[in-house]
Amino acid sequence: MELESQHVKLLCATAEGDRRAFAKLYQATSGKLYAVCLQLLQRRDLAEEAMQEAYVKVWHNAADYHNDKGSVLVWMVSIARYRALDILRSASYRRETRESVQEQADSSGPQGALFEQRDKVRIDECMDTLEDGQRQMIQLAYFRGLTHAELTEHTGSPLGTIKSWIRRGLQKLKRCLEP
Amino acid sequence: MNYLTEERKNSLSSEYVLGTLHGRARLRYQSLLVAHRPMRQALWRWEKHLNALGAALPEQTPDPSVWERIQQRLGFVAEPNNVTSLDAKRAAANRWRWLAAAASIAAIALAVVLMRQPPVTPPAPSQVAVVQGSAAEALWLIELTESNIQIQATSQFAPLPDKDYELWLVAADGRAPVSLGLLPESGRASLARDPLFDRVDVAALAVSLEPPGGSPTGSPTEVLYTAQLVTL
Repeated sequence: MELESQHVKLLCATAEGDRRAFAKLYQATSGKLYAVCLQLLQRRDLAEEAMQEAYVKVWHNAADYHNDKGSVLVWMVSIARYRALDILRSASYRRETRESVQEQADSSGPQGALFEQRDKVRIDECMDTLEDGQRQMIQLAYFRGLTHAELTEHTGSPLGTIKSWIRRGLQKLKRCLEP
Repeated sequence: MNYLTEERKNSLSSEYVLGTLHGRARLRYQSLLVAHRPMRQALWRWEKHLNALGAALPEQTPDPSVWERIQQRLGFVAEPNNVTSLDAKRAAANRWRWLAAAASIAAIALAVVLMRQPPVTPPAPSQVAVVQGSAAEALWLIELTESNIQIQATSQFAPLPDKDYELWLVAADGRAPVSLGLLPESGRASLARDPLFDRVDVAALAVSLEPPGGSPTGSPTEVLYTAQLVTL
């Protein structure tokens, strides 16, 4: 919470155009945002691009933050992750990395296993209550950004099964997180 | 609207955040987000839940050049060359872009031809959008100039009686759509250029169907069309 109130203070000052506060906010959060982008994109250049765009947005949109949107860090992670997903889904990314998609899904990239080293948070306790298939699909979709079709390819399970694992897994997560 | 049952809201929002909502379902979801605050609230809840996973990843140190480039893009420091303006354009691409059914090249070309006749002193390069109907017919041609928004209703547009059509700016940051004014049902009209155009990434323009006089609530009543602004 200490950390959160510091983030809120920096973000509020950023909303008023305080560049030094924005620089501090960057220092305080860029390691996390970079991890999120790198985990998804598995390429430093693209992760840096996504992150730059995310911070430009944070600067412009700082005043729109409110705590319905989660902690400041989570709000910023959301911004960065959407941008990284856009890049991941873009045609040029697919062209450049077509051969290696399967490989990445097997976590052979340099940052492949980042998510295995993460801190355990509340949602992880809830993830542990899911069936293996549900948990695995949600994690692959979240951390690797795999689509339904890619999950089918990756696991060899039929599309219907994948969709149902994800849907039911998310429903169960919600019951656990919002009892 | 059955999209808005609690279960539907949650299932769409959670899959959107997870990244597994694809294609048309994703587009439909985004237009629901524009119009429905409860849907945005469901989205925020799921961002909070799922992105706690991302926030728990071990920190990785980005190259110091990233911060330099961010400062350049924001104009805090001088740009070393022209590359950043290209970067900035790419930055403008974002998830809301999906919402805009990309106007076809032919439609843009048509817009250019129609809006540029008769030739006037060429204004600074501006942005145009073509609002297309369900059969991809052009309904309105919209030009965003430095001073205003010029709009031409096409002959293909058949307005409903007792209804008005309102134009909205959909910002990329997810804020509620901002009204730009009522669209002409025939001929040309111009609207004021909202200062927000200079402050946010514009994800899309949206057109809503409204009772006479425009939205009674300050939010779009029924989003009919969206269009993307294209820089000429």
